[in-house]
Amino acid sequence: MTDWIAFLRRNARLGLIGGIVSLYLAAVGIVLAFSERNVIVFSDDVSLTLGRVMLALPPIGIGYFAARSGGGIPTRLTAGLLAGFVTGLVQGAGLLVASALSPQIRDVLIRITPELISFVSFGLDPVVGAVLGVAICSLLGLAAAAIEVTRAAVRRPIIGGFLAVGILSLAEPFVRPRLQDMDLPNVANFLYQDHGLTVAAAVLAFVAGAAIAVLWKPSRAAINRRMAAADPGQQRMVRWAWALVVIAFLYALPVKIAGPFLTQVLVLVGLYILLGLGLNIVVGFAGLLDLGYVAFYAVGSYLTALLTSPNSSLGIGMSFWVALPIVVLGTAIVGLFIGAPVLRLRGDYLAIVTLGFGEIARLLFLSDALAPWLGGVQGITGIPDIIDSGTYTLPLIGEVSGPAATFYPLLALCAAGAYFAYRLKYARVGRAWNAMREDEDVAQATGVNTTNFKLLAFALGASIGSLGGAVFATHLESVFPGSFVLQVSITTLAVVVLGGMGSIPGVVVGALVLIGLPEMLREFAEFKLLVYGAVLVVVMILRPEGLLPDVGRRRELHEAEEAEEVARTAAPSQAS
Amino acid sequence: MAAAERAAPEKAVDGKADLILRAVKVTKQFEGLVANREIDFEIPRHSIVSIIGPNGAGKTTFFNQLSGVYHPTEGTIAFENIDISDMAPHEVAELGVARTYQNIRLFRDLTALTNVSVGQHVRTKGQWYAAVFQLPSVRREEAAIEKRSYELLEIVGLRRSMADVLAKNLPYGDQRRLEVARALASDPKLLLLDEPTAGMNPGETRQMTEFIGQLRRDLDLTVLLIEHDMKVVMGVSERITVLDYGEKIAEGTPAEIRANPRVIEAYLGKQATA
Repeated sequence: MTDWIAFLRRNARLGLIGGIVSLYLAAVGIVLAFSERNVIVFSDDVSLTLGRVMLALPPIGIGYFAARSGGGIPTRLTAGLLAGFVTGLVQGAGLLVASALSPQIRDVLIRITPELISFVSFGLDPVVGAVLGVAICSLLGLAAAAIEVTRAAVRRPIIGGFLAVGILSLAEPFVRPRLQDMDLPNVANFLYQDHGLTVAAAVLAFVAGAAIAVLWKPSRAAINRRMAAADPGQQRMVRWAWALVVIAFLYALPVKIAGPFLTQVLVLVGLYILLGLGLNIVVGFAGLLDLGYVAFYAVGSYLTALLTSPNSSLGIGMSFWVALPIVVLGTAIVGLFIGAPVLRLRGDYLAIVTLGFGEIARLLFLSDALAPWLGGVQGITGIPDIIDSGTYTLPLIGEVSGPAATFYPLLALCAAGAYFAYRLKYARVGRAWNAMREDEDVAQATGVNTTNFKLLAFALGASIGSLGGAVFATHLESVFPGSFVLQVSITTLAVVVLGGMGSIPGVVVGALVLIGLPEMLREFAEFKLLVYGAVLVVVMILRPEGLLPDVGRRRELHEAEEAEEVARTAAPSQAS
Repeated sequence: MAAAERAAPEKAVDGKADLILRAVKVTKQFEGLVANREIDFEIPRHSIVSIIGPNGAGKTTFFNQLSGVYHPTEGTIAFENIDISDMAPHEVAELGVARTYQNIRLFRDLTALTNVSVGQHVRTKGQWYAAVFQLPSVRREEAAIEKRSYELLEIVGLRRSMADVLAKNLPYGDQRRLEVARALASDPKLLLLDEPTAGMNPGETRQMTEFIGQLRRDLDLTVLLIEHDMKVVMGVSERITVLDYGEKIAEGTPAEIRANPRVIEAYLGKQATA
């Protein structure tokens, strides 16, 4: 009996959470704002909008979560249904209250407009809309629970299919113009209509996503098996071939595939990859929580500006590549200066002090006292492009200009930064940093000179961040103190944490998700931070170790053993 | 009691023997509290000695001064005739003192192998720039570190399959072993073990005691134990020092300590006299 009550309470509580999330999304205006963006267009006046998806996500998520409890399949399905039902009840109640109080409610909650109320109630009477909403939410909760309880073999393709539809639809602002540019208007018209997917395209995307999800694991296993069976020479060749494919893709990406708009986004992602790689050394490897990392970005930018811009107070107008080593070295020294006073601080205290340093840096660049050298509010302008005044010709690509001109040197620097971080990580230095992160006292008792290694982490982390600053300065052709706000530090930290502390591929994924994704929803820029927060919270609940966690280096020996095992089990099937 | 008989010391070591460590009148004061008062303490080379005492007797405080975590308020500590009283822990570690902890303190999110590799930090040199450019010296050193790490895991009896397991996921006994392996990785001359058998069952405790004796023989070590468990101490050590309320109240061979009325009163309490 008590079990039964506990069951009710648990799922009602989950439903309540889902309902509150729905109300929040509606009340802040996301639902209505997103209702202008189509996901799937069924006919000229019937379409599934992103706003509708926003209302559907809470019951789906809650239903899925509710079904993760223990018990038999009927119990778990009931849990999903119940949680979805309660979510719908809360949504409906909110709708009724809002419509009863409308329009006065706008005095307090200005986003609860009559249009929103009409949208949420499907253009029907609010009472009918609320009842319909409850029914839909219950069904969605049940459906999500049904997906949860099925076997992975069924669940994975379904989720993969929905993901593919979502991604292809969200990518419309990039993909459609590119298809037009590339003289493929037929493809564009087949895929998209009214800025949403056509039904045919949605079905196709779903099938493709499902197929990829089905084939992903077995084909990866097959590739691994084949790789393991191959001799070392062949393995090396396959790896090189892969590397070549990736390089060729990246080489063609900005001009041939992405187009200027998406390349601009990629440049932003690249800048945050560099920042993330640098901060990852400080926070991820050495465990020093630095909230003032933007200071290094700013110093890198300003040093570049001073050295390369003919308009700067130095006015020497060096070329970018000559200036770069000086910038890196200079920022490393600043890293030492910031690191030295905080050597004795740990954890939260360190975070607060570095936060202060970040602000101090910005205020120094802003200050009137230093304005004769650093330009104060006006900053420094006239920073030349990285290569040949921003336009150059690449073999097979042709003329490169605009964001693409920044893309290539940035890519090279990202690759260099990643290589640098990777080498450090799997060396004596990296282990000493890791030990310090795990337990500073014990690391010291084990012989790690924590003072030196902390300073080294700050200096090297600062150096990589300064690369980002240098590219940033040339990309904007000017630097202003206003670019170096706390938000940059926080975003960089979020990139590192989301990707997985200490994980180098994680930085790349984190930057793509946190910087790239919001750009896809550019017209909803006012909700960018909200999306950020939501993504971070969800990822931290579902994968607290990050998207691509640092699994620790797999030993060569271990791999060899595993390969042997795989080869043995695979032998019979390959005998033919 | 069989263990006690087997490990009976060859001979009581006198004060003028070759000393690896010598503490003279060490006093440690925290604000008003005197945790150690004028403790004289010596460790002859190649011996196994123990410090025992009831909870709060100041054992761990004293231990922490030997490893550089605390610095004595008064008095000096010399290791190999070098004054280490004011040295930082990493300097002491470099001289050849390694330690374990009462509550196991491994690098929990690193693999067993990495834990041991970190232990070799003071005996290796690889600089960051050398690692970035993958100089031959670094490649050689890394290979040597890896080889040595596997050896050490074997020495403490950790199975090879455990090498890639995160330290926090190892079973309790293996965590204790791994901590010893990490300490041994720095090629210490003096190994400080803080209650190495805490939380172990009698079987594991006996294994650990035998292991300590074996370590001394195989690796030319000197061992200092802090213990709570009288049986362990009596079985393995040649000399025992007893602390109570921060002061040294007795010193001698296990037999002498067992017979010492002050020890019985202070440490063993009523159970022993009853």
